Amino acid sequence: MIKKRSTEWRNYTVAVTGINARADNPGPGLAVARSIKESKEFTGRTIGLGYDVLDAGLYKKESYDSGYLIPYPASGEQALLERLEEINALEKIDVIIPCLDSEMTNFIRIRQELKEMGIKMFIPTRQNLLMREKNGLPALCKQANVATPKTKLVTDARFFEDPKDSGFKYPFILKGNFYDAHVVYNKHDALLAFNKLVNSWGYPVLAQKLIKGDEYNLTAIGDGAGSMLGEVMMRKRAITEKGKAWAGVTISDPDTKMAATAIMEELKWRGPFELEAIKEEDGTLNIIEFNPRFPSWIYTSVGVGRNLPEALLKIVSDPDSKLNFPAPVFGLLFVRYAEELLIDMKEFESVFVNGSTNKPIKKYTA
Amino acid sequence: MEETATQALHRLKRQGRLAQLALSETGFGFDPQSGQSFSVNGTGLFTLNRLISGDETNAIAVDMSKQYDVEPSLAESAIEVFVRQLGRYLQ
Repeated sequence: MIKKRSTEWRNYTVAVTGINARADNPGPGLAVARSIKESKEFTGRTIGLGYDVLDAGLYKKESYDSGYLIPYPASGEQALLERLEEINALEKIDVIIPCLDSEMTNFIRIRQELKEMGIKMFIPTRQNLLMREKNGLPALCKQANVATPKTKLVTDARFFEDPKDSGFKYPFILKGNFYDAHVVYNKHDALLAFNKLVNSWGYPVLAQKLIKGDEYNLTAIGDGAGSMLGEVMMRKRAITEKGKAWAGVTISDPDTKMAATAIMEELKWRGPFELEAIKEEDGTLNIIEFNPRFPSWIYTSVGVGRNLPEALLKIVSDPDSKLNFPAPVFGLLFVRYAEELLIDMKEFESVFVNGSTNKPIKKYTA
Repeated sequence: MEETATQALHRLKRQGRLAQLALSETGFGFDPQSGQSFSVNGTGLFTLNRLISGDETNAIAVDMSKQYDVEPSLAESAIEVFVRQLGRYLQ
């Protein structure tokens, strides 16, 4: 049966990516779905779009009504579009919320085709995406007059012989183009980390000066016109080996808010984002990353009374929505935990063989 | 030195590895000894079902060549490669 397209956010069918739940670095997708499902007004459906048969979101029924595998970003936008056409024939998706950095370019490239299929997204332009990339961040921060640590693109491992020549001294951080960061203490560390990052994410690798201090994070939705909506801030209390927060506390830091406001004015970002900053002992706030999607701790926004995934659906449905966010709650702690999901072999087989938790995809015919 | 197809098949039968496999009609397979999952295509499924039933490779090749309308020598060669791969996978 064809599902009637909904023009009302409460009844949307929402597809979300980033649905893995690896303990050291979970994707935001499960938290986004949890936030939407906990909306008192939402009565629609959520669809999980995963890249791996072991992405927990494919099987977690409390979060997703069904799950589908999609091709890895390296397969390109055409493969993604074809797969989304197949899925859309069954599910009649209203909105897609991309949650991973590495896939954003592909979604941006097919936004028009998706729009013609009736699928909405609230995502940035390609230009915006490039401006906040790790290697573009120093220029953006300079325009916004906010501090950021010294950064250098590294494409040649000889850099690590004597980084002093480029104004770096050990230890410093090496970051992959999309993900992962390693603190390197000497040439040996650096070469190991450099090769690992290149093998995983390709070139370039970024060297960033190590700033000591507390990490302050802010998430909000950029309205595309230079403002941010519904900001929620937190300070990390405990981190995994990959530097991801597994415990944090919500805060209200004027410096972080001011920095985010200034960057928004320059960038005119459209869509969800996360700003990562480190505040030094002397109070200097350094912006270290601008992530183009909701963070994995986004469920905390529900706890502070500002359900940002729900707000995103309202904006998509009606750009002039009055969001009326209450003042956020400060001092709310979050602690992340892992639990096992039990999956019947038949369901696993369905994903493994057919790429879906449903029966094999059939082309829809009216 | 790597096993021949004949050696691999004898070992798998002796160890009871083939009988243990859970194999569905979609070609999805599960090895309960290692916990690994795998998938086989149509001819792989045809061959593996027959091996699990205890048939010898030359008999399977004769039937495969009729079923899929291929030269018996091609069927034999394909089955040999398949059995060797199976032997590597089910160590």
